[in-house]
Amino acid sequence: MKSHDLIIVGAGLSGMRAALEGAKAGLDVAVVSKVHPLRSHSCAAQGGINAAINPDDKWEVHAYDTVKGSDFIGDEDAIDLMCREAPGIIHEMDRMGTPFSRNDDGVIAQRPFGGASFDRTCYAADRTGQVLLHTLWERLVHSGIHVYEECHVFRLVLASDGHVAGLVVYDIKTGEVFGLRGKGILLATGGYGRVFLSSTNATTNTGDGMAYAMRAGAPLADMEFVQFHPTGLRTSGILITEGARGEGGYLINAEGERFMGRYAPKKWELASRDVVSRAEQTEILEGRGKDGAIFLDLRHLGRDKIIEKLPQIRHLALDLEGVDPIDAPIPVRPTVHYSMGGIRTDKFGAAPVPGLFAAGEAACVSVHGANRLGGNSLLDTIVFGKITGEHACQYVRGAQLHDFPANAVAEEVERIRELKSRPNRGLRPSMLHHQMAEAMNTYCGVYREPVGMTTLVEKFPGWRLDYERIHLDDKSEVFNVDLLRAVELRNLLDLGESIVKGALAREESRGAHFRIDFPSRDDVQWRKHTLAIWDEASQSVRLDQEAVRTVGNPEYAPKERTY
Amino acid sequence: MTSQTYTFRIQRNMPGQVGTVQSHWQEYQVEAEPNTTILTLLETIKGGQDGTLTFRQSCRSAICGSCAINIGGRTRLACKTHVGAVAKNGVVEISPQKNQPVLKDLAIDIRPFFSRVHGIKPYLQDGPERAGKVTSTAYDQVNHVTQCIMCGCCYSECTMAEVNPKFIGPAALAKAFRFVSDPREGLKTERLKDLASPNGIWSCTRCTFCVDVCPKEVAPMEAIVKLRTRGLNKGFNDSAGAKHALAFHVDINQSGQLNEFTLMMRTLGIVGSLMETGMAIHLAKKGKIPSPFPHSVTGVEELRRMYESLERNPVDVETKAKEAVPE
Repeated sequence: MKSHDLIIVGAGLSGMRAALEGAKAGLDVAVVSKVHPLRSHSCAAQGGINAAINPDDKWEVHAYDTVKGSDFIGDEDAIDLMCREAPGIIHEMDRMGTPFSRNDDGVIAQRPFGGASFDRTCYAADRTGQVLLHTLWERLVHSGIHVYEECHVFRLVLASDGHVAGLVVYDIKTGEVFGLRGKGILLATGGYGRVFLSSTNATTNTGDGMAYAMRAGAPLADMEFVQFHPTGLRTSGILITEGARGEGGYLINAEGERFMGRYAPKKWELASRDVVSRAEQTEILEGRGKDGAIFLDLRHLGRDKIIEKLPQIRHLALDLEGVDPIDAPIPVRPTVHYSMGGIRTDKFGAAPVPGLFAAGEAACVSVHGANRLGGNSLLDTIVFGKITGEHACQYVRGAQLHDFPANAVAEEVERIRELKSRPNRGLRPSMLHHQMAEAMNTYCGVYREPVGMTTLVEKFPGWRLDYERIHLDDKSEVFNVDLLRAVELRNLLDLGESIVKGALAREESRGAHFRIDFPSRDDVQWRKHTLAIWDEASQSVRLDQEAVRTVGNPEYAPKERTY
Repeated sequence: MTSQTYTFRIQRNMPGQVGTVQSHWQEYQVEAEPNTTILTLLETIKGGQDGTLTFRQSCRSAICGSCAINIGGRTRLACKTHVGAVAKNGVVEISPQKNQPVLKDLAIDIRPFFSRVHGIKPYLQDGPERAGKVTSTAYDQVNHVTQCIMCGCCYSECTMAEVNPKFIGPAALAKAFRFVSDPREGLKTERLKDLASPNGIWSCTRCTFCVDVCPKEVAPMEAIVKLRTRGLNKGFNDSAGAKHALAFHVDINQSGQLNEFTLMMRTLGIVGSLMETGMAIHLAKKGKIPSPFPHSVTGVEELRRMYESLERNPVDVETKAKEAVPE
């Protein structure tokens, strides 16, 4: 069986940035990714990456904006760390080759973003994620690090003493199942947008790493905090960047009214995402939307600015909604976008399972708390890719390979064989997925109420039984996407259950989590992280709590959050 | 908008013996509005009719590059192609990308494509030509090329790749141009030298297919042409392609028209030309051998003045990101 010092799962921004630390440390690092690195969903980030690089700005202000944005439930040590590291990260990416947009004087340009008190978002037109991803891939190629491309992890394997031992990997290209031993495992597998029916996310965003970590005994934190992006396209849910509002775009309802002033009189469209999404949803629910959407109006920006600053989103609006934003407003609605929750780690990315690390959207460090600010996710991926990579490298230097249970590979081979051997009747994976994802959208959306959520929680045992009845049409070895979807579906069920259970338990409204029956924030009872833990005996998710990590900065004390 | 029934005629490819696939065509019926994307409908078929149908996809928004397939005779991203725009009499024909080995159904083996990209050293390098300061316009050359998402549409349609699988191809060359044009790149000249070697920039036939099919307006061929110009300026002119281009340059400057009689000798050299003797005899029989002493065209002096003027004040032929015209 092959072994490596450190195995990184996922080749998006976090995974690749972490891998570079391994190369720098001269360790044997490998990356496993179910898609080619350039297909990773980091490429879809559009608007930009926050950093206090302007001499008139300060990282402390960025940190305060982030604490406030998190609705005072982000871990303050991690937020301070991220914002302090941010300018260095931008300059490092610039040196590596990212073509950031520039001001006339050649300095990296910055645009205003939601919830920020300074124009702090660095960007490359409206395809910032893509250029960052390509830059890190370029460095990865340069480093010569081995990437197991189009290889899907089917299980995180622990040794008998509870330390990580390695992974069971499925090579999509051949159907081969093999074990990989590692002294450390770093999960950078991104988010789980497919838990919901309508999402800005790629179809590959199934939160695999989170689900494997939870099943291996690493708790997930704050899963109830699901960010709804205010501007997903009405039909497909595809993202239209916050940069569109940063460049001056308006949100209008079907009556043509620019409504945000009624909800956020100071910041209007550039309030934080939770605030804007709720405002939109209210407009829609009160009958001032059209076909379930309100509108993003860019017409007043003019043709030239749209073409120069927002070329990609113009294409998306044209290709997917048939609307040219130069001439007409774009129909948009709040759409599932980002997971504030994830694998619970300390500020260096270490999870409570020895040898296990997590970074990026898969992790809950937690820098985003109850609501992530636009432009902070790209920053999170690269800063914590680097920091977690560094710390994982330090860890594996002093660690040994642990015993890889002899039957782990065989069990996964058997799981595949059993799935394929089922007769072609009953449910297809897509049908069960649709049922769950639709119910998640209905009962665990922007506004949440207990009756719907209770119904939803009660559905999971049935869906787990249904999962045992799904069948695969495709019984073949090579590129069996049918099989992958089936394996991913179990991960989605695990995550869906942790989201709704967390949401039902949290009897307050904070950040992206809004309870109709508890419309206010309750710092006494609920300024806490929710932990979701896999209970092997009952084959279901149970909850626990953990305190927020504070740094004693009086500025960070919870106060009323207005924009 | 009204929905209608479309027939998807899809090439199914099943892996057979090592390195081979067994192909057949299979038809599916789907109900859709004309502005539905092909990817949505492939998902509909896979989810509801036939889970064995295999294709790659991920972001659904034309930025990850996964879903490039041959739709209606042309390689496109399935996620941004509307069924109504490509159906002929209600039928859409779909097959995998061309010029690449097929793994299964519509999924190709992407490794050969990426190995070519790896071949151009796709990363910034330190070196003496690295500029210190980046200006606001420094990336005007770089930006449109960095829009490339490595989807492979261009390679699939490349007429040179079809006959010469060693050609490194439009996407890899566009990537190379991105580094040659980047003020931060330290080894621009070395890159130009490497790119002028066989199967590089001079192998392109300039058929423009790569420009036509690119879903991100990268215009790879324009990048290749600019690489040629820069390579020649650095004196990398001993390939057949470079010599051919220079022979055109000299002839037009001198007489205003090509001396086709000596063109082959100047492009391929004496030995290379002798290899083409059979073709020469064939041409002679048909009376197609041109005169070795072409006369100058009228007004050649004016042409020379234009040349001189251009050499003193070179026109900026460099491309900026073009305004997109929607399909």
